[in-house]
Amino acid sequence: MDIFAKYLKIQRLLFNSVAFLIFLPCVVILFYLLPHRFRWILLLASSYLFYGWWKVEFLALIIFSTVLDYVVARLIYFSRFRIIRIGLLLISLGANLGLLFLFKYYIMFSAKPEDDMLFTIYMVDFPFKALVLYGIYYAIPVGISFYTFQTLSYTLDVFNRKAEPEKHLGKFALFVSFFPQLVAGPIERFTHLMPQLKKKVEPLYENFSNAFRLMLFGFFVKICVADNLSLLVDQVYANPDAYNLFSRWFGTIGFGFQIYADFAGYSLIAQGAALCLGVNLMDNFKTPYLSVTITEFWKRWHISLSTWFRDYLYIPLGGNRVNVFRWAFNILLVFAISGMWHGANKTFLIWGLIHGGLYLVERFIFGNKTGESKFLKASSALVTFLGVQLAWVFFRSKSTQSSIHQLASLFDSGGNESLIIKGSVILILIIFILSDLVLYNRRIDSYLGTLSKPVRWSVYTFFLWSITAWGGTTDHPFIYFQF
Amino acid sequence: MTSNIRNIINRVGGRVALLALICLVLNFIYTRFFWIDDLEQYAPMLSELISVKDSAEVLYFGESSNFSTHPDDSLKEPISKFISYHFPDSRFATINNSAYHAGLYLQLIRQIDKGSKVQMVIVTLNMRTFDQAAINSKLESALQKSNTMYHPRPPLMNRFLMSLNFYDNRDSMQRDLQTWKSWTYDTLKSDDPKIKFDPNTIRRWCETIKFPDSNGIENMPLRLMADHNIKAFAFQINDQNPRVRDFDEIVRVCRDKNLRLVLNLMAENVEYADSFVGENLVWLMRQNRNYLINRYQSGNVLVVDNLESVHGKHYRDQDWTTEHYDQIGRQIIAKNVTDSIIRRKWLNGSTY
Repeated sequence: MDIFAKYLKIQRLLFNSVAFLIFLPCVVILFYLLPHRFRWILLLASSYLFYGWWKVEFLALIIFSTVLDYVVARLIYFSRFRIIRIGLLLISLGANLGLLFLFKYYIMFSAKPEDDMLFTIYMVDFPFKALVLYGIYYAIPVGISFYTFQTLSYTLDVFNRKAEPEKHLGKFALFVSFFPQLVAGPIERFTHLMPQLKKKVEPLYENFSNAFRLMLFGFFVKICVADNLSLLVDQVYANPDAYNLFSRWFGTIGFGFQIYADFAGYSLIAQGAALCLGVNLMDNFKTPYLSVTITEFWKRWHISLSTWFRDYLYIPLGGNRVNVFRWAFNILLVFAISGMWHGANKTFLIWGLIHGGLYLVERFIFGNKTGESKFLKASSALVTFLGVQLAWVFFRSKSTQSSIHQLASLFDSGGNESLIIKGSVILILIIFILSDLVLYNRRIDSYLGTLSKPVRWSVYTFFLWSITAWGGTTDHPFIYFQF
Repeated sequence: MTSNIRNIINRVGGRVALLALICLVLNFIYTRFFWIDDLEQYAPMLSELISVKDSAEVLYFGESSNFSTHPDDSLKEPISKFISYHFPDSRFATINNSAYHAGLYLQLIRQIDKGSKVQMVIVTLNMRTFDQAAINSKLESALQKSNTMYHPRPPLMNRFLMSLNFYDNRDSMQRDLQTWKSWTYDTLKSDDPKIKFDPNTIRRWCETIKFPDSNGIENMPLRLMADHNIKAFAFQINDQNPRVRDFDEIVRVCRDKNLRLVLNLMAENVEYADSFVGENLVWLMRQNRNYLINRYQSGNVLVVDNLESVHGKHYRDQDWTTEHYDQIGRQIIAKNVTDSIIRRKWLNGSTY
């Protein structure tokens, strides 16, 4: 018991942690035991506990953002003069983006603590500097990009008169920090999430049942698919030259599946956790690797972020109501910024620009048509899939040089080593790919509801078995937490 | 609302029971068909322990100090083997793995059944594992991952907890930070009037100019060796040290299981510590040795003090602090352990 308590304290409160498996049921039980008028307090306290568990100092930032946007949005709404409203909006944008820039980009540009050698040198010659740099590294708040974008969308909606400002500071704070989607989204809109947080919810069996299905599948996808693949992908990316051609391709495509499983798994667990509390979060993924075009891919991948960029950047820039050159520039700009949203590394910028470039090429050549023939659609889906997978190389690599090296290695003879892939991992991967085919435009919870009881329970049993006996054992937190 | 909750409890209750039953069945299947393979991959020492715990009478738990050899050695036997030669009537088995420490031995010893054939366990007591650098070693997360599989819980649960990273899985930067904080800020204390320590002892000690030539330029290889000795041995063991807590627990578990416990305090290169750093460091090493002996020497625990028993030249690594000995070093330690056991009359055997 002593060890149990010790590890609970050390562990980060991730979805795939024992701490969360205890935390969530406690919150859900208390939530339904409390009268409706006190529930927001419980959820806010739980959300701050969830976030503060990482590092209690992080709470100061989220509280600052919350109070600032609460006050600014109210002033914007009630201000008569456009110039004042614009000024207030700029204050909000400046403060939020300033903090984001300070913590995410400035620090990442100035300190690179992953460079062990640098720190060894610092430690020998300047021990205090080493400690300070380490301190800064750990000061990068998790999920800052997510909640910053969520609060920004609120302020912009109020500015554009699409939403009325929230009167209740506590409830607004809950909108900003609602724990299931706090650290890695989905980035919710005020008009979608806030009414649900205020609504009186009764405990419904259907909600719990669907939440169980979403979370079970989410855990399967994260723990079994993503975490098992991470081990193989890491090996190939660490030393591509050593591996044979098959292993290199497996590692490269494997990362595409790893990041999809990792992020989609997180989103499913988030949706399940929220549903236990009667909140429906938006779908963040809809079988993106079955997209026929890049345009479609971005309607199916990280939907909450791509729609955010569409609504708050692309459309204000003029969308497609401008001349073709300006439109192309807007597209590239939006993709470049969405790449940089992931971090201050050139590789993210290149990844965004590749997608932007593919998008433009596709639109210039094919327009809005994807063709009716099944063969053409399948070919287009394959090309899209390959394009997306190769672009991931830039996302995964630490530098442009290593990205190019990794890409080049896919087309030369290769080394002698081959990845050792367990039979269980292959089976899990096949099931994952099949599930994508089966779930095209459907959600796992509703799909499982259509199955007969014996089949449904067989599926549950398989997922349970895979999660407990075949889960990956690498210590990989969710990839998107770093963003 | 109440009827709604009652309705949910009724509907959920049966399903939860079914899920629990499924988990029991899965655990049975896992233990029967998959567990041993997983142990071999993630926790090989437990599979080794399982294979010997019903036949062995003496178990030797060790790390690389047991099996590391010098390239010039004609005898390659580990320390445990040298010991076993002197107890032909007792069946010995060795459980050893690089970088293992008390936290891992503890879980393994817990797996020995009460009333099994095992009568005695010899556990390596490596002083350097009490140091901050060892406690926060980069290897620690991997070791703790293995440790998850050693816990006496249903095997499937251990496997699941390993997937959830339910162990001390702090990353290497967090661990380095702890070590560096300790090296930067710790101040060592002395109750001996002849021994004095500066504030921020380790940092000051490392910053001191060492082995300068006539122009004041330091001899870097010697300086690095000195700094390395300081970082390895300039610490003071106290009750809060996690290794102390682990050894306390080992003593308690052995007492509960009626096992005789030999703590084999490994030799350190005290001679080099003295020549590279000086008497203050040696004083600390001896202080730590005394702490361990005073704490653990008791009725069912025998602490064998090898700290200063191996001459500097018998260490395999001459430019680094390790407990890797040549054949003479290993035999000296084996002799001390053997003689101590015989003196206590715990086993019948022949002395060296």
